[in-house]
Amino acid sequence: MIRRIFSSEEGSAAKFFMFSAIVWLIVGMGAGLLGALEFSFPDLTKGVAQLSFTRLRPAHVNTVAFGWLSMANIGACLYIIPALCKTKLFSEKLANFSCYLWNIGIFVGMLTLLNGYTEGREYAEYREPIDILFVVALGSVSYNLFRTLLNRTVKKLYVSVWYIMGAFFWMPIIFIVGNRTFVAMEGLNDGILNWFYGHNILGMWFTVLGVGIAYYMLPKMSGKPIWSHSLSMFGFWTIAFFYAPTGTHHLLQSPVPEWLKALAVIFSAALVIPVISVLVNFYMTMKGSWWMLTTNMPIRFVLTGAFWYLVTCLQGPFQATRGVNWYIHFTQWVVGHAHAALLGTFTFFVIGAIYYGLQRLTGKRIYSVRLVKWHFWLLLIGFFLFFASLTIGGLQQAVGWALGYPVAQWGLVLPPMWLVRSIGGVLMFLSSCLFGFNIYMTMREKPISSELEIKVAVPIEGDSK
Amino acid sequence: MSEDKNSNENKSVGAKGYILPAIVVAFSFAIIYTVVVAIPNLPSLKSEPSKYAMEYVEKEADGTIKRDEQGLPVLNDAGKGRAIYVREGCFYCHSQFVRPQDRDFGSRVFAGDYANETPNVLGTSRTGPDLSNEGGKLPDEWHVGHLKNPREYNPGSIMPSFSYLPDEDLGYLVSYLQTLGRKRMDDPENRHIYEAYYPEADEAFWHASEHHKPNVDSAAAANAGAGIFRQNCAVCHGLNGLGNGPNALAMAKKPANFSRPYYKAYSDKTWYWRVAEGVPGTRMPRWKLKLEPEQMWYLVAFLKTLPQDKSPIIEPYQTIDSEAWQSQSALPERITDNYEKLAKNKKKGGKSSKGGHGGH
Ligand code: HEC
Ligand code: HEC
Ligand code: HEM
Ligand code: HEM
Repeated sequence: MIRRIFSSEEGSAAKFFMFSAIVWLIVGMGAGLLGALEFSFPDLTKGVAQLSFTRLRPAHVNTVAFGWLSMANIGACLYIIPALCKTKLFSEKLANFSCYLWNIGIFVGMLTLLNGYTEGREYAEYREPIDILFVVALGSVSYNLFRTLLNRTVKKLYVSVWYIMGAFFWMPIIFIVGNRTFVAMEGLNDGILNWFYGHNILGMWFTVLGVGIAYYMLPKMSGKPIWSHSLSMFGFWTIAFFYAPTGTHHLLQSPVPEWLKALAVIFSAALVIPVISVLVNFYMTMKGSWWMLTTNMPIRFVLTGAFWYLVTCLQGPFQATRGVNWYIHFTQWVVGHAHAALLGTFTFFVIGAIYYGLQRLTGKRIYSVRLVKWHFWLLLIGFFLFFASLTIGGLQQAVGWALGYPVAQWGLVLPPMWLVRSIGGVLMFLSSCLFGFNIYMTMREKPISSELEIKVAVPIEGDSK
Repeated sequence: MSEDKNSNENKSVGAKGYILPAIVVAFSFAIIYTVVVAIPNLPSLKSEPSKYAMEYVEKEADGTIKRDEQGLPVLNDAGKGRAIYVREGCFYCHSQFVRPQDRDFGSRVFAGDYANETPNVLGTSRTGPDLSNEGGKLPDEWHVGHLKNPREYNPGSIMPSFSYLPDEDLGYLVSYLQTLGRKRMDDPENRHIYEAYYPEADEAFWHASEHHKPNVDSAAAANAGAGIFRQNCAVCHGLNGLGNGPNALAMAKKPANFSRPYYKAYSDKTWYWRVAEGVPGTRMPRWKLKLEPEQMWYLVAFLKTLPQDKSPIIEPYQTIDSEAWQSQSALPERITDNYEKLAKNKKKGGKSSKGGHGGH
C-alpha cells in the first residue's frame, strides 16, 4: 500500500500532478460557472450558504489557481526539468508525497472556504493549517527540483530551467510573506502586503512557470532551436528585476503612499520589455513553421496562449498607468484581464504541455485527436465570449462612472454581458469535461511499443483515430 | 555538498558556475522585498490612526484594550460585524475607498482612517456601490431587510441574498455598516473640501437648464413643485422641508431645513444648481440624473416659498409608520393630473409642456 502511494516509478509524480490538476480544473471551473450564473440569476442558490456567490468566488479562484494551474505547471516541470537536465528526478517518492499533501490542501481548502473559513485576503484565503500544508508541499517540490538540478549531466542551463527554477525559488518566499498565518499587519499596510503577494504569485509564479514551459515546448515541437538564447536570458533577468515591486498598481487610487504607487507604475511600464522580448523570441522561433498550427495540437495550444499573452501584457502596462487605471479600475475589465492571463495564456500553455508530456510519460497515444480539437475550439470560443463580454461591459461601466452616473449599471447595461459570460463559461466547462474524458480514455489505451515512436509522439491530426 | 557530488559522479555537473547568478537573483529579490514590503511597514513610517479611524475593540475604563482570558482583544458589535463582512466576502463586490473623482459616495478617505483594520477590505471591484460612508445613510431595518432580500428593496439588484445568516449575525453586520465613515460625514470641518463649485462656471449645464423653464414665481409652479417634493424629497427633508423626514433620523449629516431665513439669500440659479448637482459629501443626490430640468425648476419654485423670517422650532422626527404621514404624502389630485399630462407629452415627443401649469 505505502509502496503504491509513494511510488518511485519514473514519471509517476508528474502524471499524478497532471491528473489531479485536471480534476481540479473541472471542479474549479464548475464553481466559477455557478458563480457567474448567479450574476444573471441572483436567487439561484438562495438560502444555501455554501453556494452563495461570496463563498463560491474564493473557492473558485483558489481551486483554479492553486489546484489547477499550479498543479498542472508543477506536473509539467517535473517532466521538463529532468528532461532538460538529462537526469532522473531526485526523488519520485518525495514528489508523490508532495502531490498528496497538495491535493489534501486543495480539497480541505475548498470545503473550508465554502463553509466560510477564510483569511479574507484575495488569493490568500486559505486558513492557517492549509497554508502550512502548502508551505511543506511547495518546499518539498522545490527541494526536489533543486536537487535534480544539482544532479544534472548537461553543462549549460537552457532558459526554461532558469525560468522554472526562478519560480521555485521565489514562490515559497512569496507564499510565506503573503499569508496572514505567517505575517500579519494592520491598516493599509495589510493591503500593500496583500498585493505584493497577490501580484507576485501571478508574476513570479504563474508567469515565470508558464513562460518557462512555453520556451521548452516551442523549440521541442517545431524542431528548431530558440531564435535567440541571449534575448531569452535578457527576458528572464528583466522579469526578475521588474516584477516584484509592481504590486501596488492594484491599489493605485487608494490612499497608500505616493512613492510606492510611483514605483509600481514605473516598473509596470517597464514590464513591456520582458514581455516583448519573450514574444519576439516565440514568434521568431516559429517563423517558417506556422503551418504546424493546423495539425499539431500542443503547438496550437501554446501559440494561442502566446496570443493571449500579447493581449494581457498589452493591457497590463497601460492599465497600470494612472490615467487608464482611473478609468478601468473597479470595473469588469479587470476580471477580463485576469482571465486573459490565467485562463487565456497560462491555461493554454500548460494544456499544450500536458498533451505533449503525457504521451511521453505514459507511452500512450492520446485517445482521440478529434476530441482535442473540440477541446481547443470550445475553450477558445468560450473564452473569447467571456473576455469580450467582460471587456465591453467594463468599458461601459467606466464610461458611466466617468460621466458621473451612479453605480446603477447592474440594472441597466451589464446583465446581457453577464449572460454572455455565462454562456462562454458553459462552453469552457464542457471543453474541460472533454479534456478529462479524453485523458481518462487515453490511460486505458495500450502503450505504444517502440521507444522511438514514443519520442516522436505528438497528437497530430490524421495521426490516430 | 555539490562539491562531493562532482568528485563522486563525474557525470553530474552540480552548481558550478551558477552560484554567482543564483546569489544575484536572491539578492535582487531581497532588495526589492525590503523596499516594497519592509520599509512601508517600519513603525516610524506607519500612518497614525486618524480621528476617523474605526474602533472595533472594547476598551477598559482607562482606555486600554479589553482582553478575554486568552489575551485576545474583545470585539465590540461593529468588530464582530466586520468579521462577518470578511467571512461573507462582501468585499468582493463592495469597495471601501472613495476616490477624488467619485460621486455619491461621500467624502474621501485617508490612510490613517484604516489604522485599526485587518485584514483590509479595500476591495478591487465595484459590482455594488462603495460602502466607505454607508453609516447612517439608511435605517437598520432597511439594511436587515435588504440583506435578506435585496431584490425586494432594489429590483434588478444582483447582490446575493444573505437570508441564510442568523439574525444575530445580521445584527452585528448592520452595526458594522452603520459605523462606516459616520464620523467623517458628521464633521463640519470637512465641508469646505466639497463646496468648491461655482454655480456660474458650467455653461453647458445652464444652457441645458433653459429647456422648458417655467415661471418659477407663479403659485401654480410652486404647487407642482410641492408634489414632486413630496414624492422625492420628503423622506429626507420632511413634508414641510424642515429637514426632519423619517430618513433624517438615521442620517449623520442632516438634510437641510429650508425654513431657515438663510435660504432667503438663495437665487433661483443657486437653488437649481444645488438640486441638480446635489451636495457633495452628503447624502443629497444629484437630481439631474433622475429629474428633468423642468421638474427641477418646479422644485425651485416650491423651495423658494419655504424660507421664513424666523425658523420654527423643529418637531421631533416624523416616523414612517404614522398614518398621518401616509395620508399627507398622498398626492393631491390636481398635481397627479399634471404629471400624467407631462408624461403623455413626453411620450409624444415632448413638443410642449406648457399645458397644465400656469404662469402664463
Ligand atoms: C455580487 C456582489 C455583491 C455582494 C457579494 C454583496 N453585495 Fe451589497 N450590493 C451589491 C449591489 C449590486 C448593490 C446595489 C443594489 C442594491 O441596493 O441591492 C448592493 C447594495 C448594498 C448596500 C446598499 C448600499 C446603498 O447605499 O444603497 C449595502 C448596505 C450592501 N450592499 C451591503 C452588503 C453586505 C453587508 C454584503 C456582505 C454580506 C454585500 N453587500 C455583498 C452587490 C453585492
Ligand atoms: C437621501 C436624503 C435626501 C433626499 C431624498 C433629498 N435630500 Fe436634499 N439634502 C439632503 C442632505 C443630507 C443635504 C445636505 C444638508 C447640508 O448641506 O447641510 C441636502 C441639501 C439640499 C439642498 C441644499 C441646501 C443648502 O444648504 O444649499 C437642497 C436645495 C436640497 N437638498 C433639495 C432637495 C430636493 C429638491 C430634493 C428632492 C428632489 C432633495 N433635496 C432630496 C438629503 C436629501
Ligand atoms: C468556466 C470557466 C470560468 C468561469 C465561468 C469563471 C468565472 C469567474 C467569476 C464569476 C469570477 C468572479 C468575478 C468577480 O468577482 O466579479 C472569477 C474570478 C476569477 N477567476 Fe474565473 N472563471 C472561469 C475559469 C477560470 C480559470 C480557468 C482561471 C485560472 C486559471 C480563473 C481565474 C480567476 C481569477 C484569478 C479570478 C479573480 C479575478 C479578479 O479578482 O479580478 N477562472 N471567475
Ligand atoms: C505585463 C505586465 C502586466 C501588467 C503591468 C499588469 C497590470 C495589472 C494591473 C494594473 C492590474 C490592476 C487593475 C485594477 O484593479 O485596476 C492587474 C490586474 C490583474 N492582473 Fe495584470 N498585468 C500584467 C500582466 C499580468 C499577468 C502576466 C498576469 C497573470 C499571471 C496578470 C494577472 C492579473 C490578475 C489576476 C489581475 C486581477 C487582480 C485582482 O483584482 O484580483 N497580469 N494587472
